[in-house]
Amino acid sequence: MHRRSRIAALLAVALLTGSCYAAAEEDFWDWLLTFERQKNFKPVTDKVYQEECGACHFAYPPGLLPARSWEALLNARALRKHFGVNAELDDDTLKDIHDYAVDNAADKSWYKRSRKIAVATEDGPAPLRITELRYISRKHQVIPEKMIKGNKGVKSLSFCDKCHTQADKGIFDADTVNIPNYPNWDD
Amino acid sequence: MNVARIAAGIFMAAVSGMVHADDTAMHPELPIAASFYTHDPQSLKSGALNPSAFLLAANEGDALKEQAATAPVTEFKPPLLSGRKVHQYLGLSTVAFAGLTMLAAPEDEEEGSQTQPRQTSGTTHTRLARATAVLAVATVMTGLIYHWDDFHLEDGFSDPDNQHALLAGTGALLLLYAVNKSAHSSVPTSHAGIAELGAVSMLAAIKLTW
Repeated sequence: MHRRSRIAALLAVALLTGSCYAAAEEDFWDWLLTFERQKNFKPVTDKVYQEECGACHFAYPPGLLPARSWEALLNARALRKHFGVNAELDDDTLKDIHDYAVDNAADKSWYKRSRKIAVATEDGPAPLRITELRYISRKHQVIPEKMIKGNKGVKSLSFCDKCHTQADKGIFDADTVNIPNYPNWDD
Repeated sequence: MNVARIAAGIFMAAVSGMVHADDTAMHPELPIAASFYTHDPQSLKSGALNPSAFLLAANEGDALKEQAATAPVTEFKPPLLSGRKVHQYLGLSTVAFAGLTMLAAPEDEEEGSQTQPRQTSGTTHTRLARATAVLAVATVMTGLIYHWDDFHLEDGFSDPDNQHALLAGTGALLLLYAVNKSAHSSVPTSHAGIAELGAVSMLAAIKLTW
């Protein structure tokens, strides 16, 4: 009897927890039942997104920003002044990129770091700069300025792939960081 | 009763084994055997001293296109053994040992059904239980040391790292409590449920940040 009660209690807790998540996100069961690591960000898989965005800068995984941020960034008007640069695209390309970014945004992803960003950006205005996200700035605050802005091999936090050697795979673990000119940066 | 216990044990051991296998499969460059590995410092230096990797790091204009087209090639390889990975493997080991402890539980230990003096040490079950408790403590300690900047109260309970820390900490405490409760009792005690809850809690914590 004790055993049955215990198992029932465990199942109840699991179902309760599961149902809460399931109600919030349809992809919950996919996330729950996979053994694939989803600790970082979903890597960029869309060819158009990779080619068009990656032509000028690192093709940031869409999971770095919530959907409303991508909505604000990826429209014809905003792209005419895309951080000081005219980055206009034809309508079809823009639609592809916009849809891909929105569909894979932080608040629609089960990858852990995306979930962290989604939670942290739930309230307030849509963030437009990844480097200004609280999570991102907090993770980099221990890195001295000389290793980023003062480092010719990096220059800015915007160039993720300069230090995050597996950024193209969506992996941003500290163990995969190699800061140019500072091989022993974490000593 | 024992079937459920064995099934739970096998499940936990299988889960920890599968996630380890998956992790290894995701990183084929890593040795499968649990051999110690330290990254080659020369590869770091050669990567850092490669001038072509940095000369193209211009900030704006046309140079950006050139830079993107010639991404720096680096020989950097992440270390197999680091504090964060130690924490990861300790957590998986804790769950695996919890499963083995359940499998090794004596069959006749039910309240009121004991005919011989209760053994609180020296058995496979008690040894595995103590090892599980030690692993749980080590997991929490390494988590606090190597992931100190990942959890912040201001992010609230919905933050996955906060959930991970809370669930893993609670799980470790439950495992410790179960071991302590059983070790100091001369009569059978119902400690299995507490331990199982602790193990499930730690498993959930792992999944949340996997």
